[in-house]
Amino acid sequence: MATFFGEVLSVYSRAVEEDDDDLDDENEDERIHREIEEKREVHIVWCPEVAQSLEDSGSNKLQCSDLIIAVGTNAAGFLSAYVLNTESWDAVGHVSLWNERSRGSSRQSIAPLPGEPACLFYRHRDNPAVLVCQSTCYIAEDQLFQWTEKVFGCLQKRGLSVMVLSDSPVAEYKTPDYLYGSAVPFLRSLKSSASKGQALCPALEQPNILTGLPAAVLSHCQVHQIPAVLYQCYTDVISPDSITMETFKPALLCLSKLVKLEPCLSADVLRKFAIITEAQSNLYT
Amino acid sequence: MAARYDRAITVFSPDGHLFQVEYAQEAVKKGSTAVGIRGKDIVVLGVEKKSVAKLQEERTVRKICALDDHVCMAFAGLTADARIVINRARVECQSHRLTVEDPVTVEYITRHIATLKQRYTQSNGRRPFGISALIVGFDCDGTPRLYQTDPSGTYHAWKANAIGRSAKTVREFLEKNYTEESIATDNESIKLAIKALLEVVQSGGKNIELAVIRRNQSLKLLESKEIETLVTEIEKEKEEEAEKKKQKKST
Repeated sequence: MATFFGEVLSVYSRAVEEDDDDLDDENEDERIHREIEEKREVHIVWCPEVAQSLEDSGSNKLQCSDLIIAVGTNAAGFLSAYVLNTESWDAVGHVSLWNERSRGSSRQSIAPLPGEPACLFYRHRDNPAVLVCQSTCYIAEDQLFQWTEKVFGCLQKRGLSVMVLSDSPVAEYKTPDYLYGSAVPFLRSLKSSASKGQALCPALEQPNILTGLPAAVLSHCQVHQIPAVLYQCYTDVISPDSITMETFKPALLCLSKLVKLEPCLSADVLRKFAIITEAQSNLYT
Repeated sequence: MAARYDRAITVFSPDGHLFQVEYAQEAVKKGSTAVGIRGKDIVVLGVEKKSVAKLQEERTVRKICALDDHVCMAFAGLTADARIVINRARVECQSHRLTVEDPVTVEYITRHIATLKQRYTQSNGRRPFGISALIVGFDCDGTPRLYQTDPSGTYHAWKANAIGRSAKTVREFLEKNYTEESIATDNESIKLAIKALLEVVQSGGKNIELAVIRRNQSLKLLESKEIETLVTEIEKEKEEEAEKKKQKKST
């Protein structure tokens, strides 16, 4: 190509594929993409007993009748206070993943420290078919599918029933009416079509949608016809809060059919989770 | 729809809302409850004490502040905003005394605070104050007054009112229970304030702070022992009421 100043530049023609120079670049691009993919891969790390039982079962799947997933600090706090407070739960695994907001890759094989955002699995000692998953770390959109596939890939689909608890800011709740303060926090539910029972609270109205891990799990259950019910709590508090956690109490009705729950101690445990943040907030008096 | 008209304070939405001001009123609801009662010879302010951190000096976390010898206020909402408003009000009280040689009337200082708040809802680059205030006191002629202001800059006189977290519940209680006989004496007015707070305060008397102004006297903060005594009295009265009702039912 001749330019205005008389110099001649050689330019690439888009009509012809020039493979030689591009090959290195492509290789490098591919290499970078592969590295990023590996870095962002989702790994499930099971404890030795569970890993052994996965191997022993022919299909590499765990027997599971009920899977309860808690997404978010309030939902996880509710499960910790009302369900996981007895001694009969064992930590059986965790999910290790890396993304810009959850940098857990440095400790793939070591379990996350308590209090760190993480994704943990617990199994009931007396009823090992009941699994609880507490997810407080951020899972990026591109990792959600992998997470769901890998977790559900370890579980037997037949006879499986899923409950998801999640929390969300009430500012995201779209409604034509004004939400007076006393109505918040509140629960809304969504079910997969295979789920037969009655939900314990009104269904989520249009045009509200779910995003993130709860949506990925529910979509998976809908596609694979697994009965699943989701309870989303809309709350006006950003940090873990005992009143928000108590809003999940109707879910205890379903859970008490599966495992024995400790009824009364929970209020103090709840306050323990919530009070750490209350005292430090001097913003409002 | 709210999303497009709620970022700037100086922008009305098509249906006439000033969303930033309304959001400021939501910030008020994050503060703990405060209740104000206007009696015959006494005005009472009661607040729900916030839980203080272990290493924090309790007396620096105050919701009730004196603006002058005869006027005091309780607020709910953003702590820092309250400090600024209180400082400006205190300066205005003294400035008024020096220029006019008279103490402020409760209505004057309330109007000053409300005007200040309104100014911040009408200029760009500033956000509204996120506090509501209950201002109580006695005028020179001995009339007791209770006023309430909110982030929009409006103020009204009240016989009894509540602001903050569970204000609606407390206000409903007051509407039912504020009668001439419930404020007949000073003690009764104080007990009414405590009863109203006990509706919403967890764990009873030790989370309540009370302040009173009597005619021609300055602000007095009640000690926790006095509050505990009054709470016990109230609980005893409640039990006696319940007993009487039971007896009536059985006969």
